[in-house]
Amino acid sequence: MSDKYRLKNWQELPFGGVITEGGNAADYETGTWRTWRPVWKEENCIHCLTCWVFCPENAFALKDGKTPGGKDRKEIREIDYFYCKGCGLCAKECPVNKKGKKEAVEFIREET
Amino acid sequence: MPKNVAITGNGAMAEAMRQINPDVVAAFPITPSTQVIEDFAKFVNDGKVDTELITVESEHSAMSACIGASAAGGRVMTATSSNGMALMWEMLYIAASMRQPVLMTLVNRAMSAPINIHCDHGDSMGARDAGWIQIYAENHQEAYDNMIMAPVIGENMDVRLPVMVCMDGFLISHSVETMQIEDDQQVSEFVGEKVPLNSLFDTDKPVSWGALDLQDYYIEHRRGQLEAMYKAKSVIEDVSKRFAEQFGRKYDLFESYRLEDAERVIVAINSVAGELKEVVDELREQGEKVGLLKIRVFRPFPYEDISKALEGCKIVTVMDRSTSMGAYGPLFGEISNALYNLEDRPLLYNRTYGLGGREMLLDDLKDVFQESKDYLNNGKVEKIFDFLKVRGA
Amino acid sequence: MSKYFEIRWHGRGGQGTVTGAKSLAEAVQGTGKHVSAFPDYGPERRGAPLRAFNRFSDGKIRIHTPVLEPNVILIVDPTLIGAKDIEKGVNDETVFIVNTEKSPAETKKALELDGQALFTVPANKISYKLFNREIPNSAMMGAFTKACPDVISLEALLKQARHIFSHVLAEHLVDMNIEAIKCGYDEVQK
Ligand code: SF4
Ligand code: SF4
Repeated sequence: MSDKYRLKNWQELPFGGVITEGGNAADYETGTWRTWRPVWKEENCIHCLTCWVFCPENAFALKDGKTPGGKDRKEIREIDYFYCKGCGLCAKECPVNKKGKKEAVEFIREET
Repeated sequence: MPKNVAITGNGAMAEAMRQINPDVVAAFPITPSTQVIEDFAKFVNDGKVDTELITVESEHSAMSACIGASAAGGRVMTATSSNGMALMWEMLYIAASMRQPVLMTLVNRAMSAPINIHCDHGDSMGARDAGWIQIYAENHQEAYDNMIMAPVIGENMDVRLPVMVCMDGFLISHSVETMQIEDDQQVSEFVGEKVPLNSLFDTDKPVSWGALDLQDYYIEHRRGQLEAMYKAKSVIEDVSKRFAEQFGRKYDLFESYRLEDAERVIVAINSVAGELKEVVDELREQGEKVGLLKIRVFRPFPYEDISKALEGCKIVTVMDRSTSMGAYGPLFGEISNALYNLEDRPLLYNRTYGLGGREMLLDDLKDVFQESKDYLNNGKVEKIFDFLKVRGA
Repeated sequence: MSKYFEIRWHGRGGQGTVTGAKSLAEAVQGTGKHVSAFPDYGPERRGAPLRAFNRFSDGKIRIHTPVLEPNVILIVDPTLIGAKDIEKGVNDETVFIVNTEKSPAETKKALELDGQALFTVPANKISYKLFNREIPNSAMMGAFTKACPDVISLEALLKQARHIFSHVLAEHLVDMNIEAIKCGYDEVQK
């Protein structure tokens, strides 16, 4: 573990438990909580970004892309398993999954 | 120019607030502290201060607004009493543990029920563990002086704790007494500007206040808070010294009145100390070796200094103007803590007086000294704890 | 006997007795003395008898207890003459100042005094004449300075009162209150 996560002595703490670094939740590896794994299927994905909106850990990473009509849009790039805690919300909310014919997010047990 | 005035205690506190000119005042009215904010609201209305006055819907909201405004970096004040402060309860702790130097005039009043608007110290004594610095005052001048010192103490970078300046309801808050209001400019220079720390308004350095803190850190945060209280002691002494240099009135953590060779001592807080001084003088004239120790700073409590001051006396009567149901009085507890490690401990006992404003006349106080004389002569304390002036005793 | 000069006012709720005690304190304070003023704390109910107190001293005043042995008793409401507790703590030196249109002799008799100094002043009459209502304080203060010129002289009282009233009253009311003090002073009988 890095020194950053060493438990500090009381003398080292900022006044009143204030958190002075913005966005430090990014350092927290929620991926260790995962027992189920979402697997993103690029070939079935329509890039509606529903999963990106719903994911409580912000695990879906985006990239720049184009609509079939050629307009700029954001697209899913990958699932960042450092953050993905395996809650399954993405698989549940994905409209492709909901139609029931094919899956854009497969949700499977982690291998033991 | 400093000026002598005849003014109520509440009026004096409003004057101190005007001179301190806080950024934000948030308050909800409650007797007997209402006039502090009423008078201050006039100053706001007349443009004599730059304060944003927030009239909230409850005391809980008042303290919440104070905490938020203070975390934003402002100098913040409020005033309340009794049940009003009780409604602030959870926020009192939060102000202290978030290290917000909120400044409060606490006009001491009995807690309900039965409803009683008069003086006792049940409100502030109940809040003694909330983490606030508590400073008490015998009279108008002391209350005003303590309030002028309060921002300098609370906002000190080693301290950063809220300060409660307490004075007796009605006896001080509503009576008119002669006192000196110092020069506006001098007070303003004395109190200086609050240095913001991790201000919510500092958008270049965003911070989170009041986050979750579990078994791995809570106790360290509490320990750090305690350190601030420890440091507050010497800061209070330094600020009081500076105050004496500038304004001529000298204050210590407690006042020793004719203690030098005293055999029988009463320990008390707030306005009754005035009456006690009168009685001590009278008994001294009759050759009795009596004295008074008046508590000024109750949090942090100056154990060692008090034990030194009381070393050598033979009997100590602690007078509590509040009661901790099922326990001895809160002041008594502290004094016996302070005395326990003395090799030659004085006799010690506790008397509760004045609950709900029950008056203590000079003769009543002479009776207290008479009892301590009897105890001393018999070499033992008959009743460790008792109520004074209660019918049916 | 207390080392302070002590006054006990007897009035009724709503009459301004507490304000009277505070105004007198402020006036005496203006002459450089230490003062205090406070009522018997309690709910103030219109018409209910109440007491207010003053202490004056050249040195610091340390006590906050009710006045037990007053140097001066001010009876602001004539209907309180004969009420119980008025003579509490009275001694031979106690001075009475009573708002009444009755003569000093009659008033002394009604109060069953044995030889204490007593001053009467028709403060209500003065107040009706000037304000067309019953606010006897200013006339009482005028009577006080006649009875106790050592505490505050008429001249000093007028100066201080003008100063104090001008902070809280419109100009014509300040003048009328000054007039009431003068009338109170002039119409005292011993
Ligand atoms: S399983 Fe849960 S945490 Fe993982 S990517 Fe899907 S929504 Fe996010
Ligand atoms: S919700 Fe399904 S379809 Fe939409 S972006 Fe996510 S994976 Fe693709």
